[in-house]
Amino acid sequence: MRNQSDDVLLRMDGIVKCYGDLVANDNVDLHLNAGEILAVIGENGAGKTTLMKILYGLEQPESGTIWLKGEKIRVRDTAHAIANGIGMVQQHFMLFDPFTVTENIVYGKEPRRGLFFDIDGANRMVSDLSERYELPVNPVARIKGMPVGLRQRVEILKVLYQNAEIIIFDEPTAVLTPQEVNELLKTMRQLASNGKSIIIVTHKLNEVMGVADRVMVMRNGKLIADLPVRDTSIEELSFMMVGRRLIESAIPEIPPGKKVLEIENLCLNGTGSVPILDRVSLHVAANEIVGIAGVSGNGQFELVQTILGLIEADSGKIQVGGQDIFNHPVRSVRDSGVAMIPEDRFIWGSAAQAMVVETAIMGHYRKQEFSKKNFLQIKKIRSFASKIVKEFNVKADSILQKTGSLSGGNAQKLIVAREMTQQTPLLVACEPTRGIDIGAINFIHDRLIEKRSEGAAVLLVSSELSEILKLSDRIYVIYNGRINGEFLRGKVNEEELGLRMVGSIKNELQ
Amino acid sequence: MMSDANYLSVVFNSTIRMMTPILYVALGSALCNRVFIFNIGLEGTMLTGAFAAIVANYYTGSILVSLLAAMISAMLVSWVAGIFMVKFKGAMLVVGVSINMLMAGLTTFLMQTIFGVKGAYVSTDLVSLPKVDVSFLGRWPVLQTMFSSLTYLDLFAFVLAILLYFFLFKTVTGFHMRSVGINKTAATSLGINADRLQIGTIAFSGIGACLLTMGGVTMFAQNITAGRGFIAMAAATLGAAHPLGVVVGSGFFGFAQSMANMLQNSAISSQLTMALPYLATILALAIYNFTQHRR
Ligand SMILES: Nc1ncnc2c1ncn2[C@@H]1O[C@H](COP(=O)(O)OP(=O)(O)OP(=O)(O)O)[C@@H](O)[C@H]1O
Ligand SMILES: [Mg+2]
Repeated sequence: MRNQSDDVLLRMDGIVKCYGDLVANDNVDLHLNAGEILAVIGENGAGKTTLMKILYGLEQPESGTIWLKGEKIRVRDTAHAIANGIGMVQQHFMLFDPFTVTENIVYGKEPRRGLFFDIDGANRMVSDLSERYELPVNPVARIKGMPVGLRQRVEILKVLYQNAEIIIFDEPTAVLTPQEVNELLKTMRQLASNGKSIIIVTHKLNEVMGVADRVMVMRNGKLIADLPVRDTSIEELSFMMVGRRLIESAIPEIPPGKKVLEIENLCLNGTGSVPILDRVSLHVAANEIVGIAGVSGNGQFELVQTILGLIEADSGKIQVGGQDIFNHPVRSVRDSGVAMIPEDRFIWGSAAQAMVVETAIMGHYRKQEFSKKNFLQIKKIRSFASKIVKEFNVKADSILQKTGSLSGGNAQKLIVAREMTQQTPLLVACEPTRGIDIGAINFIHDRLIEKRSEGAAVLLVSSELSEILKLSDRIYVIYNGRINGEFLRGKVNEEELGLRMVGSIKNELQ
Repeated sequence: MMSDANYLSVVFNSTIRMMTPILYVALGSALCNRVFIFNIGLEGTMLTGAFAAIVANYYTGSILVSLLAAMISAMLVSWVAGIFMVKFKGAMLVVGVSINMLMAGLTTFLMQTIFGVKGAYVSTDLVSLPKVDVSFLGRWPVLQTMFSSLTYLDLFAFVLAILLYFFLFKTVTGFHMRSVGINKTAATSLGINADRLQIGTIAFSGIGACLLTMGGVTMFAQNITAGRGFIAMAAATLGAAHPLGVVVGSGFFGFAQSMANMLQNSAISSQLTMALPYLATILALAIYNFTQHRR
């Protein structure tokens, strides 16, 4: 047995969890001290989320015990976890959009006055709470239309309102802008200094180094290391996670070929007073990766959706390979040679209830290799699915498994695999590595570079500046729906990009 | 020739009488909508309540017993439907249609076995709800006409709408109900027993489906509801599942129904006039959906 000093708040001993034949947690131990920040890292499908779900009562383990303050507990369900002071900020926020901030925070533990919900009292309590933890919110604002960072803050306040002493964060920074990430890390440190204990699951090792006291590494359902952060380094952690050294492959110099995607003066007015896209002009050529850098919410995702035909633009020109696709239906856009990795894997990328093999051909099933005279070629489809699952190292039990039961990162890998294997002249990749572990990120980057060498045009939208800087031959900065600068590889540094992304430097032309 | 004021007061009175059976069911339907249940079984539930009331009336001659019998049986049927929809995750449409068909058949069959009649059962032995005495309004004949021959249950429908408004928007339980309709997964993950809330709501929504054969008409006929359960659902939708909006929605259909009844004595063919409430339903829903879609 390990450290059993008095300040051990929580211990999980020998946790085992199986899904069918798959052992998602294989005899995992975890302990957490009061006021400590513990990072849990590991490859996609290593079992991190599963372990957290067990602690929060969303899953029941096959065996193993949980000790809280020296007492053995069984977390039957989430209500029970909350009652025991365990709170979780889930990856997919659990908020009610039409309700106000206060209503969401006090949910399940509402103050009452007589028969009625004491909404004024609740508002006051939320104001107090938000002041005490320096997490500013407007109690009476509605969730609908709020940026992710603010939604997350509401989630944190909710957990605090429930009086949680242990707060679990599952990949909290995956969807945040860099600025929001910094704020969140600051909040975590502050919560810890207030005596809260925090568990953070993440793929970003710099966050581990920046915020955590201790780090647990998982691989294949097993705990393989548990060590203080000050005794380790990013290199060592990444080696432990992936089991090999990562090699950055060089990007060969290739002159760009013919223009594949051409956009001229694209305008999308939207409903607000400011247009969402304002005279956007850009192009992507064959053998070229073009990055769009921008703080999320500046029009980059609407840009991608107008290209694909999901949103109707107001004016402008969009061509792929010389063919007009402006405001064309999605199917004809895809047929003209466009593949697309969407921003959100479950909203646009797949259906949670569909099998892996179905997800593997979604959007491409009409192609000759998959269907003949309207009949699906089941055999061919299965062998194709098995092939890409293997090639992209998607950790799945079988290709007949539901997509929704894959781990977050593996679902993402599957979608990336699907869109990358299609031999299209243009690939639009939105946040291709969101939620993916560092080993797999490397692999996907290599594949993008390969695709470029093969002559494809790649439009890369990412909120990871390092990714943009590493891969792009050319970079456009988007700010407030306008192109705010264009740079060739190596002709710009992170700092200038950052300033342009927030509009501190404006394009002289506009 | 009636004076205009008189005529209007008659229309008002008949609108109220036509609308309250719909209103009770519509309020139930609105609650169901709030917890994201589309309960089309309400037509069958309404039929159940109507039948149970007459049976209890026939055997006991007691208003109170009839009312209780109607409420309890309608609630039970609704509750069973709820179990199938929520616990066993049956498709709501399928469960609802089954309830409707089952009850249509069962009530017809039982009517034949119990009363030995086909088609309809009418009897002077049946008691009906006492009417509210409005003789104190004698000085204002128009008002008197407006509120004549209404039962306390007719009046209570409006009180209930107001009560439900407070329940839904001011109490914690109502808050939880609305939340389940918005995001059931989130509600569950926050420790709310969403299944129980949904089933409870469906069961409760049945209680209102009991009034049809207690006030205005004291008889039972095969398929006596004549689609009024569906009309109530339409009224709930029109009222945006808001209790006070539902009053307006039900009022609209009550009005259509009362117009249809009045026009029966006119030159217009009765097939047309009888179709009026249903035409109004389709038209109102179409317009409603259209405006919703435009927004
Ligand atoms: N409901 C389920 N049914 C079947 N298998 C499941 C289910 N949930 C998870 N798994 C499997 O358990 C394994 C561990 O999944 P888990 O979500 O814990 O991984 P993770 O470490 O959080 O990965 P990621 O970094 O990609 O989020 C995966 O292989 C996954 O496919
Ligand atoms: Mg996970």
